[in-house]
Amino acid sequence: MTAATTTLSRPHSATFTGQASRRVRRLPLHLAIWVIMAIWLIPTIGLFVNSFRPIADMSSSGWWTALFPPSRLTIESYQTIMETEGVANSILNSLLIAIPATVIQVVIATIAGYAFAWMNFRGRDVFFLTIVGLMVVPIQATLVPVLKMFNAIGIAGTFLAVWLAHTGYGLPFQTYMLRNYIGGLPKAIFESAEIDGASHPMRFWQIAVPMSVPVIAANVIFVFLGVWNDLLVALTYMGSSPNRPMTVIVTQLVTSFGGGWQFLTAAAVVQMALPLAVFLFLQRYFVRGISAGAVKG
Amino acid sequence: MDDRIITALGAVIGVPLLLGGYLWVTEQLLARLPRRVQPTVRPYVWVFPAVAFAFVFMVLPAINTVILSFLDRRGTTFVGLDNYVFFFTNPDTIASLKNNILWLVFFTGFSVIGGLLCAILFDRIRYETLAKTAVFLPLPISAVASSIIWKFMYQYDPPGAVQTGTLNAAIGTLGFDPVAWLIDSTTNNFALIFVGIWTATGFAMTIISASLKSIAAELLEAARVDGASELRVLWTIVVPLLLPTLTVVGTTLTIQALRVFDIPYVLTSGAYGTDVIASQMFTRLQNGQYDRASTVAVVLLVVIIPLMLINIRRFRQQEEIR
Amino acid sequence: MIDSTAKGRWHVIALCLAALLIVSACSQTPAGGTPSASGGATTGGTITLWTAWGGNELKTFRDVLKPFTDKTKIDVRITTVRDVAQLAINVEAGTTLPDIAGPPTPDKIKDWAAKSVMKPLESFLDMTAYTRDTYSALTTCASSDCIGIGVAGGKHYQLFVKTQVKGLFWYNAKVFKGDPPKTWDDLLKVPVSGNQKRFCVGLESGDASGWPATDMIENIVMRQSGADVYQKWIDGKQKWTSPEIKQAFQSFGQTVSADNVFGGPTTVLSTNFGRAGKPLFANPPGCLFLEQATFITNFFLEDYKDLKSVSDFNFFPHPSFNSANAGNIEGFADSFVMYNDTPQARELMKYLATADAQKIFVAAGGTLAANKTVTNFPDPIFKNANDMVAAAKNVLVDASDAMPADMNKAFWRATLEFTKDQSKIDSILQGLDQVQASSYK
Repeated sequence: MTAATTTLSRPHSATFTGQASRRVRRLPLHLAIWVIMAIWLIPTIGLFVNSFRPIADMSSSGWWTALFPPSRLTIESYQTIMETEGVANSILNSLLIAIPATVIQVVIATIAGYAFAWMNFRGRDVFFLTIVGLMVVPIQATLVPVLKMFNAIGIAGTFLAVWLAHTGYGLPFQTYMLRNYIGGLPKAIFESAEIDGASHPMRFWQIAVPMSVPVIAANVIFVFLGVWNDLLVALTYMGSSPNRPMTVIVTQLVTSFGGGWQFLTAAAVVQMALPLAVFLFLQRYFVRGISAGAVKG
Repeated sequence: MDDRIITALGAVIGVPLLLGGYLWVTEQLLARLPRRVQPTVRPYVWVFPAVAFAFVFMVLPAINTVILSFLDRRGTTFVGLDNYVFFFTNPDTIASLKNNILWLVFFTGFSVIGGLLCAILFDRIRYETLAKTAVFLPLPISAVASSIIWKFMYQYDPPGAVQTGTLNAAIGTLGFDPVAWLIDSTTNNFALIFVGIWTATGFAMTIISASLKSIAAELLEAARVDGASELRVLWTIVVPLLLPTLTVVGTTLTIQALRVFDIPYVLTSGAYGTDVIASQMFTRLQNGQYDRASTVAVVLLVVIIPLMLINIRRFRQQEEIR
Repeated sequence: MIDSTAKGRWHVIALCLAALLIVSACSQTPAGGTPSASGGATTGGTITLWTAWGGNELKTFRDVLKPFTDKTKIDVRITTVRDVAQLAINVEAGTTLPDIAGPPTPDKIKDWAAKSVMKPLESFLDMTAYTRDTYSALTTCASSDCIGIGVAGGKHYQLFVKTQVKGLFWYNAKVFKGDPPKTWDDLLKVPVSGNQKRFCVGLESGDASGWPATDMIENIVMRQSGADVYQKWIDGKQKWTSPEIKQAFQSFGQTVSADNVFGGPTTVLSTNFGRAGKPLFANPPGCLFLEQATFITNFFLEDYKDLKSVSDFNFFPHPSFNSANAGNIEGFADSFVMYNDTPQARELMKYLATADAQKIFVAAGGTLAANKTVTNFPDPIFKNANDMVAAAKNVLVDASDAMPADMNKAFWRATLEFTKDQSKIDSILQGLDQVQASSYK
């Protein structure tokens, strides 16, 4: 990994004339980047700052006023949330829903993605794209038929139902992503492996999967995120089950009129901590060089 | 409590093992078949799990939806194209479709370009992870929290009063009167679309970045050493290599633009000329009008077809290149 | 080298975030779960209950339930569900429904009653006591079907637990000291000083934006044109372009015109309904009156903790248009429906109908009870409101809530468009007629 990482992130220019000149050249780049970061961060910083303000302040003045004295910062929103009945339990439930759903989806999608990319069969592309195209159908159209089926099997209201549902809804996109990436891997590697006698499963596990780590990492992030923040699927397929994820509990924080929305700011910050951690943790897989050098020969 | 954790652990460990075993077992079974037949059968075995899920969760409901769109509200009598006639003659629908076109162009366009830009620019700096995190941050924010954030960004207070909205406070310091971003017809659609772009750019950036990293560094080095300027390298090498990924991102965001619902629904309730087609479906469903709701879904499916054709072409091209 | 330590730093941060979250999740003992039947229990068992209440509303509800759960040892499992479609989805799919939940959308009431999805109150409740003690507007039905109060096929399905009065005109008692205007014309002639405007209005409310305006228009229709027109309107038999409805819109338009409303129409559309009353108590006051229901008092207190009722804020009843219809007022009530007939659910429903239970709702403030015998109002304002209800000739339901869902939504939307540009009234009303034509089938 170290060898790969040192080659990236600083493109050398053959027309260098020195450190200072290079700094100046790169100034527009850095400027552009910081402007982008600022625009993107300001709304989120607003949320973050607001979550530490007293309730009454939030609706009477902008969040930036809390950055200057007198800034009455407080953790009362956070306290209220953590004291709310069932919150801690719901975080655990969210984890127990998100992790298996992610694992199941990504594994199935990777296998299918490889098959769609490197195996030939009749009507493959049309078949594949029909499934992708169906993503446009709003999820509400599927709730009743699927729930009926779950009910018939007897799993409605269990974790399994939610895992299967998330998998079903997420697979088209996952497979789409993986098929695209795996299909772009160099043919030469697979061919030489085939000549060497490697079977499809071997080529899959030993070549395709390791080379697809960046896209698998990206997918893990998105799936985890989507499941973690989901409300509708959990509500529909878990019903009155006591194993409710955090998103369901959070709706309890506000009145039916929307009163108490201030607590949502703190709830949002708590809720985003874990997906953010997943994102940061998986950054190491976004490295160049895994397939570099593979094209030679 | 232990029960749940055990089930979850079971799933996390069991499923990959199960699938790995599935592949192994089927491979053994396939070995018994004549060599010639194997390559024709194997694909079906491999795609079976994914297809089975897609069938149950997407295909069957979709077929059900298409059927419902030709029936009446009770779901009993065949009414032919009545629902479609209603759909296309309803002024609300036409107005919503126009808005979806705005979303298609601006939301998809700017998010893809933005994601590409971020992926490329951030690749070149040492604090890449920091920058990527900043742009990625909107994604883990739940839809509910996001609506609160943007309500506050766009908040309008009467001229002369203290501005609690970030944007209006900012332009206030420059001496301008506050603007009702969400209510004024000239700004509101774009204000909503920007909220979408704010989130989708991080999404696009993450995916494009993964593909960007897979472009062999040597390829780019070689071109630079040959004297090509950065822009040329980008345009002639990087972008073409990223084209498949850009297609995937573009397609996904196009589908999102057609399905978009949350953002207008919560920020403007779809009023003041910001309504989108998905909220039409939602309202119909709430009213128990499954027939009309299904019509919307079917129209969306039809609209998607050209996009899928583009994808098929892309796939064919990809296979020719490699 | 530098890069890998930078990445290492992010790992540490990531792991810390994750660890923090997981530790906090596991450190607290999970709440919920069946309480052991310790010591002389009576019934025991569980009830699953869905409600749209959250935050303080939910806290109050738990207070209401406490005497019940203490006595019967029944575990009431509450889930907050705001998505009105959820119940319907479960009914369609045939999955288990919660034992008790709110009512469905109006279009489903007859259907679900006929299919026994909802269980009639008659099967377990003492109807004589219930109809005697509850406000008659909530229980009396002239025909066999009154969708607005959950009566279908002659049976009652909705148990009402707390009520609100709508269309009250709130004012700052220290600012407005004159006589409350009796007629609409008087209202529009109340003098204002300086930059003050007569009215404050706030219509923003997320995806339900516009509902306060529908209340205002409803209160006008019932007083301008009477209860019959009002009922026909609910039933979809009164056209929106008819003169009665059109003039109601126009009268409403007078309260949100640039001359009469604080901040002009744009502010009306941008202000959340709960914050709309703030200018009443600002210094200098931005407006004189806010038309809202009884629950608005809690919102006043959120922003200005030290306000006292009567001395700081008070209300007067909605001005009349003519003497014929002056006795009509609008009420709104929260209710529960039983979906699974279990002994525990019956117990709870019976308990919720009692004055003892509803007293706790009332004590928390911001509401009236459905049970007439409850009079422990925390302050005189609610007593006045209660007296108003008792003295009213007709208490009418919220019209928009009783209309089909897409008519309701179109109505909300129409008020927003109308406020933004009143000159478009004809095309807006024609649009509503079109929705009416297709949504009542």
